[in-house]
Amino acid sequence: MWSTAREIAAGDVVIAWMTRDLIQPLVITQGGELNSKYGYYRHDELIGIPYGSKVRSRNGKGFIHLLRPTPELWTLALPHRTQILYLADIAYVTAWLDIRPGSKVIEAGTGSGSFSHSVARTVGPRGHLWSYEFHETRAAKAREEFTRHGMDDIVTLAHRNVCKDGFTVEDTVDAVFLDLPAPWDAIEHAKKALRKDRATRICCFSPCMEQVLRTVSTLNDAGFTGTSSFTGPLISRPLRPALTERLVTDITMYETLLRPHMVEAPPPLEKVGSVSARLQVADARREEKRLRQIANARLGIERRAAKRKADEDADEEGQEGKRARTGGETGGDELVSPEDQARDEAEALAEIHPTPVPAASSTPAQVVHSAASLEEETAAEPRKITLSKAFPDVRGHTSYLTFAVLLPVAASGKPEGSALAATEAQVCYSVTDPHGMR
Amino acid sequence: MDVGEGPSRAQHAPSITREDIIKAGHTLLIKIPSGDIRSIKLEKDATVHLGKFGSFHGNELVGQPFGLSYEIVDKKLKVLPPRPMQEVEETEATNELINDEQAVQPLRPDEIETLKKSGLHASEIIQKQIEQHATFALKTEYSKEKYKKRKEMKYSKHFTVIEPTLFNVCQYWFNKDQNRLRDIRPDSLAQIVNLANIRPGGRYIAVDDASGVVVSAILDRMGGEGRLVTICDIDSPPAYPVMVQMNFRKEAVAPIMVSLNWAAADEDYTPIIASSEPPAGKFKSDGQRTRLNKRKIASDALLQTREELFNGEFEGYATSPRIEAVF
Repeated sequence: MWSTAREIAAGDVVIAWMTRDLIQPLVITQGGELNSKYGYYRHDELIGIPYGSKVRSRNGKGFIHLLRPTPELWTLALPHRTQILYLADIAYVTAWLDIRPGSKVIEAGTGSGSFSHSVARTVGPRGHLWSYEFHETRAAKAREEFTRHGMDDIVTLAHRNVCKDGFTVEDTVDAVFLDLPAPWDAIEHAKKALRKDRATRICCFSPCMEQVLRTVSTLNDAGFTGTSSFTGPLISRPLRPALTERLVTDITMYETLLRPHMVEAPPPLEKVGSVSARLQVADARREEKRLRQIANARLGIERRAAKRKADEDADEEGQEGKRARTGGETGGDELVSPEDQARDEAEALAEIHPTPVPAASSTPAQVVHSAASLEEETAAEPRKITLSKAFPDVRGHTSYLTFAVLLPVAASGKPEGSALAATEAQVCYSVTDPHGMR
Repeated sequence: MDVGEGPSRAQHAPSITREDIIKAGHTLLIKIPSGDIRSIKLEKDATVHLGKFGSFHGNELVGQPFGLSYEIVDKKLKVLPPRPMQEVEETEATNELINDEQAVQPLRPDEIETLKKSGLHASEIIQKQIEQHATFALKTEYSKEKYKKRKEMKYSKHFTVIEPTLFNVCQYWFNKDQNRLRDIRPDSLAQIVNLANIRPGGRYIAVDDASGVVVSAILDRMGGEGRLVTICDIDSPPAYPVMVQMNFRKEAVAPIMVSLNWAAADEDYTPIIASSEPPAGKFKSDGQRTRLNKRKIASDALLQTREELFNGEFEGYATSPRIEAVF
């Protein structure tokens, strides 16, 4: 599809990777230039460089990586004309539909060609993709890209409304992928296009549950069945049984959620030892404060008693002189802040009771001990934990994928009398089976 | 405007990597009425035993396309048509009047055995049970369906052959033993193989400690063209058991896949290779000549594979390793 040469040549399509969020395609032309936030580059200087190289810009403003295109990189780099499918959906659908080298596949609509490139790569030159787009401009743009990327042998693009006019092949394809607003209108057409001698598969991609319900109903009526493999998460539908396992399982629907995750290495967890030490220190301080408050209270009482006595004495001498004298010292009593008061009282307390508070003495030793053991523990290599968490506000719903299988008729041409003659042997299980034989 | 190519009634080319129809020698994934999937090797002219669900002549399946369901009748098979989903009419039924104290089913186990032996079809047995059931009519429609389903699981003699697509085989193994697959689910596997840009004709290196599911995926997407060098941590050729259920064609695997162990893959190490020249100067016997020839072929192959690896020009590397695999 794209160049397989070692080095970049003129005319090549190259993927310029600036950052994780800025990836763009580049067609290398003689005399061309790339001027971006990450530097200025002359195409002529890129010619001859090996794919995958990191290139620094001439003006020293930055660097970019020049990568060989793959469908996955193309999906991230392509110019969007419509909403596109990303890797998670593309990979899942491809695997479920059993698309592989040699497969013949139908896709409608082409859109921006994201899925198309991946399928073309997977089916290879021995397979084929018929892609249909009903919008003329988009069809033209897609055709141009398919040609430039060397996909014309593998992909046939048709500008066509498949819901109205059907497909252009019959009894040919192994898989059909419908990304249309009304896929139910294309299902009978799809059935014609699918080959009848093998199990073939279909996928309908729809954003709304109402579309899924109608799609399932139409597929069922058209004779499509389940996976003939495994039960996926079954949708519970009104008026229909919520069935669990069936011999041939039902048409199944999956929902893909694309969610960004934040990845972080949180700081090492605090150890019990240090938490305990912290609490012990708080304990000690609390006790200290309590005892200080008691002492202050006592001191307060004594001081006030002394003051009252002094006031009484002063009153006998006369008011004015006293007020002036006491104004600076004890007159400001009510204005002294509680902390200052407490400090004064603590000092007073210390004078009266010089011995340290008993509780306080026990803690320094304990704290030292804890700190020592803490150091021991941190000396051992702390285990690094990396956490990944989905962003809670991003649901990431892309679409509902509805899958079904069209089973082949049994191989006929068996000898006479064999129980496997395809016309025989239909067994009804259900007492009320309106559909009977098929 | 293009008129699409594509012949009507195309001649379908046979699939490149896997057989399109069942052949003797295939290992089949068989889904039995209980819902379990069994891996069964289809031997030529042999009988296939499905335990209590019966047995049948294996040759009945040869030539059949994958994906169909069959009923076992006298060791022969009848194809069952696909059954569409039923719409169920809701009713006003509730369990208000249903009592669980008494037994509701008068048919005893030995009576049922007799019915089974008399050759009555499973659906008829179930029908009899429904008729005899004391409170069946009182059930809701959903409950009736559930009852019938349970009985079908017990008495039916049918099975489905599951198509061995990459998706199905990976899912089978994932359900059977996730650990041996290193938790690689079908969707993860699909992303691995897309991200590695695995395509027909490509050249890849793989390290697979997940029972061969990654190798199987790569082979499936290579379509019989290109080159795959696998590196393993054991002495003898790696087993890759997942490949068994894939039923690859020999031509899609043998020419394109080779294997080396980590020591042999080390450019600084020279593998110890026994001499393939006769010590006496001439061959003592034909047996010795054959042995020594075989040895020479094997060691030449080893050296050639090493050269190939060291020459490089591989375009992709896919891995699910047990050890830290850094080149």
